[in-house]
Amino acid sequence: MKERPTAQKPREGDQDSRREVAVALTGITKRFGEFAVVDDLNLEIWEGEFFSLLGPSGCGKTTTLRMIAGFENPTEGVISVAGEPVRGVPPYRRPVNTVFQSYAIFPHLNVFDNVAFGLRRARVPKDEIQRRVVEACEMVQLTGFEKRRSAQLSGGQQQRVALARALINRPKVLLLDEPLGALDLKLRKELQLELRNLQHEVGITFVYVTHDQEEALTMSDRIAVMNEGKVQQIADPSTLYELPKNHFVANFIGQINLFSGELESVDGGRVTLRSGEGIKIEALVRNGDTPEIGEQVQAAVRPEKIRFGETGENVCSVGVRQIVYLGVSTQYITEFADGTRLVLYQQNAHDSVGPEVGEQVNVSWDANHCLILGG
Amino acid sequence: MGEKGRGWNLGLAGLLTPVTIWLGLFFLIPLLLILAYSFGTSGVYGGITLGFNPGNYLKVFDPLYLQIIGRTFFIAALTTLLCLALGYPLAYFIVFKGYRRRNLLILLVMVPFWTSLLIRAYSWVVILSGNGIANKFLQFIGVTDEPLTLIFTPEAVLMGMVYSYLPFMILPLYASLEKFDTRLKEAAKDLGASRWQTFWRVTFPLSMPGVIAGSILVFIPSAGEFVIPQLLGGSRTVMTGTLIQTQFGAARDWAFGSALSVMLAVLLLAAILFYVRRVGTDKLEGM
Repeated sequence: MKERPTAQKPREGDQDSRREVAVALTGITKRFGEFAVVDDLNLEIWEGEFFSLLGPSGCGKTTTLRMIAGFENPTEGVISVAGEPVRGVPPYRRPVNTVFQSYAIFPHLNVFDNVAFGLRRARVPKDEIQRRVVEACEMVQLTGFEKRRSAQLSGGQQQRVALARALINRPKVLLLDEPLGALDLKLRKELQLELRNLQHEVGITFVYVTHDQEEALTMSDRIAVMNEGKVQQIADPSTLYELPKNHFVANFIGQINLFSGELESVDGGRVTLRSGEGIKIEALVRNGDTPEIGEQVQAAVRPEKIRFGETGENVCSVGVRQIVYLGVSTQYITEFADGTRLVLYQQNAHDSVGPEVGEQVNVSWDANHCLILGG
Repeated sequence: MGEKGRGWNLGLAGLLTPVTIWLGLFFLIPLLLILAYSFGTSGVYGGITLGFNPGNYLKVFDPLYLQIIGRTFFIAALTTLLCLALGYPLAYFIVFKGYRRRNLLILLVMVPFWTSLLIRAYSWVVILSGNGIANKFLQFIGVTDEPLTLIFTPEAVLMGMVYSYLPFMILPLYASLEKFDTRLKEAAKDLGASRWQTFWRVTFPLSMPGVIAGSILVFIPSAGEFVIPQLLGGSRTVMTGTLIQTQFGAARDWAFGSALSVMLAVLLLAAILFYVRRVGTDKLEGM
């Protein structure tokens, strides 16, 4: 067998056994009326990890978060936080805190009182509250804003208040519901890194809900991709990207080119399929999948893995239809003779001149970068 | 406040003219007349001579009248408190548990307005009188053997007033709670506040604009009320409003009636300023 991409080496397997489980969801189903928003969900979130729930709107990720927080009760299944089942435990007795999508800063209280809210409910002594609030404000860079009301804060500052207000209680798990959704792109990028660093600093388990795949890839240790109430794949960012389990994951995270066809030969992890476009494609099979000759399958290849020329195992001829300059790279939209699209990216690293629109060119990619998707 | 609303223009001035004329003619001039009358001297057979006669105001300080004014403020304050205690849970229920029936429920709160206050007050006379429905019922269930004195008591006045002014408390409370962001309740619970703490630390403070508006809307008309004390309080529970009405009516002492009116207005203004100061003016501005 040929060398595999590094991402394919499973790195979660050996960690699984020695890490403590912070949140466990077992057979969780949530129905609103007849409709199952979350359908038989099984998840283990490890202590100290940055875990993301990623999916399109309506996939059940926020409902899942709300069930962990205690705002919704699962119709079926068991949720455990730090080893304790939490069924029937009200939100105010769970060792979790939430950063809400809209921040939900108390408008009648200033920053200090907002941040101190949780400690006051826990009857922490006054001088300790004073000390910890100052500390928490420092941590999120809000020193000097203690006397301000939420109306006098920018979106980014409100987001920091929400974060400080939750983290000051030293929860076992911090739940974040699209906390950066309302901010502009530049601030988002900044806060993504800040959040990531903060999580490393405090070592608290973060469960992060987002529909933004780039955000999830940037920040997470592991990501659960959800669709229609079901988990599609749980993996670290590079595994998700390089070895998507199915069509949905492949398409949701990044762009993908798909070829459908019939398997002609199977040789261990390597297969050959005859695609509808009339070309022969060599591809990889995921660990554990056992396709058979004659089976109808889909092969997927990322646009940036395809290059001009004939230097890979898979070579074919396409016509260039459109060229989109993207700064870092250039996107070429090409077509096979039968009209099927093939998209590829070329880095703009060199002065090399690419093909023009209308030209017929050969493109190629390695079998290692072409993956047979599961159902 | 944002930048909008600054500066004048001709269009706005034009729109404000009718209301200025209306209020000037029918509010400001009568008010000045009352002020002038309060320093005049009443003739023996009615009529009034203008001048400067502080005697009308000195008369207000007669212990008999001071007692009536004191009672007025006491009953008005009690009415306000009872309306708040009864109205808040209802407004809360309609906003947070009313769901799609919210509008219908708030409409039902306003149903009493469809009938004249006078007729509603008379119906209380029918209910509370010596052989009225209330007494018959109490005798039937065996609470009492002979009719109780229900009407012409301070309690009867209080009951009638709370009944009449309850909607004035509920409507501003409803308006204030309706704007409430329920995610704040979730945030409070998430941070360890029980339902009770969530209410007193978050929901109630944020509904203060409604509490203040409702209290003022109930307190002012209660303090000036004359129909209900007259019908349900009789001669034993005279309130300032009844007293003023008598001066302009049967007693024909317009000068004293005017002085009482001015005194009542000044005292009400002082009471409200004190109340708003205590509770905090910033809360009046809403959130």
